[in-house]
Amino acid sequence: MSVPQISVFLESRPGHLRRILDAFVEADINVRGFSASDTGDYGVVRFIVDDANRANEVLKAMGCATAVSEVLCLRLPDRPGELARVMGIIAERDLNVLYTYSLISTYIAVCVKDIPHAEEILRDEPVELADSKDIAARLDGIA
Amino acid sequence: MTATGINEAEKIDVSVKGAALAAANAGKFDQLPIYDRAIECSSRERIRAIQLEKLIAQVEWTYERVEWYRRKMDEMGVKPSDIRTLEDVRKLPFTDKSALRDTFPYGLFAVPLDEVVELHASSGTTGKPIVVGYNDHDMDVWSDCIARLSQMAGVVPSDRVQMAFGYGMFTGGFGLHYGLQKLGCMMIPAGSGNTERQIQMIQDYGTTVLVATPTYALHICEVGERMGYDWATSTLRVGLFGGEPCPPGLKQEIESRMHIVCTDNYGLTEVMGPGVSGECLANRDMQHIAEDHFLWEVVDPETGVPVPEGEMGELVLTPLDKQAIPVLRYRTHDLTRVVTDKCACGRTHARMQKVRSRSDDMLIIRGTNVFPSQVEDVLTSIEGVTPHYRIIVEEVDGLDRMTVQTEIKPETFSDSFEEMDRFRALVAEKLKSVLLVGVRVQLIEPGGIERTTGKAKHVEDRRK
Repeated sequence: MSVPQISVFLESRPGHLRRILDAFVEADINVRGFSASDTGDYGVVRFIVDDANRANEVLKAMGCATAVSEVLCLRLPDRPGELARVMGIIAERDLNVLYTYSLISTYIAVCVKDIPHAEEILRDEPVELADSKDIAARLDGIA
Repeated sequence: MTATGINEAEKIDVSVKGAALAAANAGKFDQLPIYDRAIECSSRERIRAIQLEKLIAQVEWTYERVEWYRRKMDEMGVKPSDIRTLEDVRKLPFTDKSALRDTFPYGLFAVPLDEVVELHASSGTTGKPIVVGYNDHDMDVWSDCIARLSQMAGVVPSDRVQMAFGYGMFTGGFGLHYGLQKLGCMMIPAGSGNTERQIQMIQDYGTTVLVATPTYALHICEVGERMGYDWATSTLRVGLFGGEPCPPGLKQEIESRMHIVCTDNYGLTEVMGPGVSGECLANRDMQHIAEDHFLWEVVDPETGVPVPEGEMGELVLTPLDKQAIPVLRYRTHDLTRVVTDKCACGRTHARMQKVRSRSDDMLIIRGTNVFPSQVEDVLTSIEGVTPHYRIIVEEVDGLDRMTVQTEIKPETFSDSFEEMDRFRALVAEKLKSVLLVGVRVQLIEPGGIERTTGKAKHVEDRRK
């Protein structure tokens, strides 16, 4: 149970992210979560959207450098200590988190090297994994 | 096969897309057009005889009519009558850009302005521009040179030529225009810019030849691809490039993506404009000099002394037929080598290697000489980057720092900083192994390096 993520290679300069977002608006693509990180010269912006394939096509048509990959999506109950608890489990099971970001604070995307392996491990743990359908069911209609 | 042994089916129609290059690759150069066979394929002895006769007349013409040269030659104690062999050209003074700048606008003109039919100028980066004039005779010579190089690329009178150079004072636009028109082509004077319209015009008018800078041609290619235009089935067949050097990697890329054959030519405003030399399809790295119109020398850029034939040096040109504004021994600052052996295409005129660097665009980075063309060569050899790049040189804490910005191809990107850094390190490593000086490499998103419709500006030197 994982969700597709689109990563875009962008120069860290004003207006570059905006251009991508405008294209999403144009194509009626809903952004459910994102994270932007940079190395000084360039940045990688990662998106979780409602239709990853179509979003990727839009970006490709613009000539963007993109990559589609899978990330785990974990749903956290909205109460203190949940993030610490979930990250604790991941650490105890010796999974290395490459990066993580939250969609809304109770849904966080987590990238690890071996997604199926991590899914296998986390299945029996007290964490709740979400897939695209779960996210849609939960988020659609929420302002 | 017929009784005469000539296979009629072998007759090649070069106006068919791909035919000229296929014929060249098969060695069938007798099937390719040569504009002025009597001149372009004449013996070396005859070429030298023509050159000597013209040189003597040209020096006389210049000495009699241009005070600047008369004074210079008098100071050196040289009279036109001292020129008896081609080697005697070495007795004449060199001309530098400054001579044209100092005599702005008409100081070097050798004919009354009434006789001048066209004026061109090259924009100087500092101070006044370089202004040159042409009379009817000069325009004929120019068109002649352009018609020759166009046919070297397989252009024929039935071609429809879209001019995507800017017109204006720049010699490239009108120079190519007149020459191609003289050949009999239909000129489509699109001018530069408005890329989507350029592609529309190719479709609407059935353009077969595109004249552009290679950088702009690649941009047209990319925009076309994005618009869904199919270059493979396009009527476009030939690209005539100029305005800036065209590295081999860039040319190959354009040829394969646009499905055309591309050649480029060499020239400079000070001695005429484009057309001094042109590329045939036999050796894509060499260009035939129009030797009946230009006398070439290759000299050591430091000393001005000629280097042995075939060795690299600075190209020095003396136009042999230039009436309105004669120029003797013009220092081009372009580095090349010239060979005189016969070319497979049948032409006998000397060939100069394509100019990749100028003696004055050399960068000195922490004491090491670096040419932008070296950076270009390394980048075009790397699979994952596009031919677009920029070099930025700055001084950081008293040391030179050179940054190479290179555009990655979409497929190079991976969602891992580790892998991107590894790729960046690989590019830096390859650059260092050739340049012998460490450079900082910056990866830029596809399309992130600005496209120009004219000459690409690759170097930004922020020092001093």
